[in-house]
Amino acid sequence: MKVFKAVDKIILKIEEFILSYAVIIIALMVVGKALSRALFSYSPPFADEVSQIAIVVATFMGISYAARKGRHISMSAFYDLAPFKVRKFLSILIPFGTAAVLFVLAYYSSLYVQDVYESGRVTSALEMPAYYLYIFIPIGFLLGGIQFLRNMWINITNRDEVYLGTDVKDYNDEDTNDLEGTHL
Amino acid sequence: ACGGGEESSGDNGGDGQTYNWKFVTEEVEGQVQYEYAQEFAKRMNEKSDGAVNIDVYEFGGLGSETNQVEQLQSGTVEMAVMSPGFTGNMVKEGQIFALQFLFPESVEKTQNILNDSEALNTDLRELYEEHSISPLSFWSEGAMQWTASKEISEPADFENFKMRTQTSPLILKSYEAYGADPTPMSWSELYTALDRGTVEGQENPIFFIGDASFNEVQDYMTMSNHNNYVAMTTVNTDWYAGLDEEMKTMVDETVTEMQDWVFEEQKKQNEEYLETIKNDTENPTEIVELSDEQREAFKEKAEPVRDFYRSEVSTVDGKVLDKLIEEINAAE
Amino acid sequence: MIATMLIIMVVLLFLNFPMMIPLMAAPLVIMFIYFPTLDPMILMQQFSTGIEPYVLLAVPLFIFAADIMTTGKTSNRLLDFIGSFIGHIRGGYAVTTAAACTLFGAISGSTQATVVAIGKPMRERLLKIGYKDPSAIALIINSSDVALLVPPSIGMIIYGLVSGTSVGDLFIAGIIPGIIVFISFAVYSIIYAKMADIPLAGKASWSERWTMTRKAVLPLGFPIVVIGGIYTGLFSPTEAAGVSVLYAFILEVFIYRSVHIKELPKIARSTGLVTSAVFVLVAGGQAFTWVISFARIPQMITETVLGTDPSAIYVLLMVTLFFFIGCMFVDPIVVILILTPIFYPAAMSAGIDPVHLGVVITFQAALGSATPPFGVDIFTASAVFNKPYLEVIKGTPPYILILFAISGLLIFFDELSLFLL
Ligand code: NA
Ligand code: NA
Repeated sequence: MKVFKAVDKIILKIEEFILSYAVIIIALMVVGKALSRALFSYSPPFADEVSQIAIVVATFMGISYAARKGRHISMSAFYDLAPFKVRKFLSILIPFGTAAVLFVLAYYSSLYVQDVYESGRVTSALEMPAYYLYIFIPIGFLLGGIQFLRNMWINITNRDEVYLGTDVKDYNDEDTNDLEGTHL
Repeated sequence: ACGGGEESSGDNGGDGQTYNWKFVTEEVEGQVQYEYAQEFAKRMNEKSDGAVNIDVYEFGGLGSETNQVEQLQSGTVEMAVMSPGFTGNMVKEGQIFALQFLFPESVEKTQNILNDSEALNTDLRELYEEHSISPLSFWSEGAMQWTASKEISEPADFENFKMRTQTSPLILKSYEAYGADPTPMSWSELYTALDRGTVEGQENPIFFIGDASFNEVQDYMTMSNHNNYVAMTTVNTDWYAGLDEEMKTMVDETVTEMQDWVFEEQKKQNEEYLETIKNDTENPTEIVELSDEQREAFKEKAEPVRDFYRSEVSTVDGKVLDKLIEEINAAE
Repeated sequence: MIATMLIIMVVLLFLNFPMMIPLMAAPLVIMFIYFPTLDPMILMQQFSTGIEPYVLLAVPLFIFAADIMTTGKTSNRLLDFIGSFIGHIRGGYAVTTAAACTLFGAISGSTQATVVAIGKPMRERLLKIGYKDPSAIALIINSSDVALLVPPSIGMIIYGLVSGTSVGDLFIAGIIPGIIVFISFAVYSIIYAKMADIPLAGKASWSERWTMTRKAVLPLGFPIVVIGGIYTGLFSPTEAAGVSVLYAFILEVFIYRSVHIKELPKIARSTGLVTSAVFVLVAGGQAFTWVISFARIPQMITETVLGTDPSAIYVLLMVTLFFFIGCMFVDPIVVILILTPIFYPAAMSAGIDPVHLGVVITFQAALGSATPPFGVDIFTASAVFNKPYLEVIKGTPPYILILFAISGLLIFFDELSLFLL
């Protein structure tokens, strides 16, 4: 159990690190390119490509982090109206179904990465192997799937409450809206 | 009917067999590639008495140009018009068409070389076939021109000039050779960037310049003919190999006869848009013609870039290029 | 096939599955059932293609800038400054929000970026003075739509290329419809403020106003740098988003010292979280689009609907209807790219002016980004404000009605688009 928690903590730290620095890198690249062009009439050709890699990385590596924080967007209209027991049932079914779909997506996207690997395609500016970029897609789906399984598990083990993510309880059962706390 | 899922080809089913193919292009309705594919589809349908039905896809719905290349490779679509620029990061030799002042100034002469070149139709084709792409023909969509906020008629005019380009190192080198500052800029921001002077110039064939309204935000267009926007008619290699002989012959014949058709089509479109641009008095654009000496001055600067191609781009030490240069010299 | 897709979508959505699941699973299932010979791998490339367009980078950057400014002092100083001038006027804050969204939308060209950059600070202020969340968010989402109508509009640039229409003419033609939308929203905001009895602040004295202005001098440099930079060509609209991060950073970290540089990764992480939640949907939407396009569903439907020789009004009504439906599921820019070529020939033979058609289409696309169930602005608002989906869309009906009314005007009076040309 202790090992498990330690691993979880390490993964969390890695996810946080990747999300933070992907955003900071995008900012650096976009600003850097504009400043460099204005001041030195030089446009670093790699800037756009690095930003685009960072956005793909942030998007897919963010899947599990957003799942942990219960921040994936869903159309909760009917769910919000449902009684506790229904929500409890759904809180087990939905993460399970979501995890299943994400694992299927991880499988097919890893096939895609393999395909790009075999094609030998490189990126246009940096001329680095293109699969470096795409490999974050299956990893993101895989970690996301694992996190949704954990979201399911916490709802199975805790009978009295509904969790939207391992770190967040259902806002429908909260007296006050302290959701803001999760943002920032 | 869902437009797909029917038996397409492979084994010959004898009489009454129908063929449903997908043909994807990098351009939209009205533009050269799309019109080409439509005409191709029409001719194949007529020749086969309705047995061959080709659905033509314009750019947009099926993703980016790179995606379309992958879709051809995987056999998701059977045919594609693609420009070698978008496969240049896989089949490096294909970047050959980005070299400036390599082909003759005349598009007609260039097209004849594209038709007959062994370097392209045999050697380059083989390199593509390693990636399941068979280029059946190469054709020009028109010569590339420079549009700019100031007059560009000699290399010195490019000094400290922000030229919007693609990001490939070869293209960057080509403009650095004139002393320009190549500036990568996404297509969707280009109109605004030209309007505000964030970048000062760009290159494209005339029909595209007119279609994208770049002449509205540029004051000069230099008839540089510095290279051609070359497109290839491509098919999935395995699919093509699996066609029965009769069908393969029909495809090959149509590809060949389309060469003249597309030459006339691009000529018509580029001439019409040139008139439109000249007649747009609200957004006047001065047309700059280059003298032979001026062309020569650009060519002198552009030639050393071929060495960069040979050493840094080519995977066969520039063999395709050297053979092509011989063929060009023989034709001129 | 359409039915299968819709059933999967609707069932999964109503069960409260994360929205990325129906968007990503539906195309996959369609591949399995209807295109069994194809490799489903091909859908995977679409995920990254969907989020690669360079202009989308403006979204995380404006979120980042807004996060830095709201953590620090910049946004409060700006809002206090505005409040000291309009706080005592009925509906003043709401009209200011609409105006700020219109202006910023025009500059950034991105509806999502506007939702974040203007919406984030303005929403907090609107809540503080007594607005209910759904009405505040609805105001922000819908005012941001104008971004697609006023130059430099990405929607119009794309329409211009696809149809060969002059982009300059389109830009000019979008101005009057843009102003009509703003005025309608302003009038509605004032009426709403009266009906909901939103309390007014006391009128600030000129000396108070002077104090607020002095405090806001540096923050006011922010819009000047961003707008000035774009109009002088110093940087592109997307780069302006990056420059706004730099400006916020310098102001908060070095001048006000209200944000410590060590807090930056934490702020960036919050930005990354929101970006991911929105962009997985954009990625899924692209795969969804691919399957629909591959199966040629748009062509099939429009051929049946348009028939032969339709009248101009009928074509425009169908354009409106199809763009509205299309934008329910897919990003508006993608819808323009796919549907324009399908409707364009029929519109031309019915004698519709291509510029007028462009304005109607762009207007519909703008409306589409704010209409449920698939609306990138709704997703962005839901993610940024951390509000359940229903809460976000609850207040939108009056705005959608207003926009529909204007859309009717645009269809019947082409002078509204063509007048300035
Ligand atoms: Na001009
Ligand atoms: Na929508």
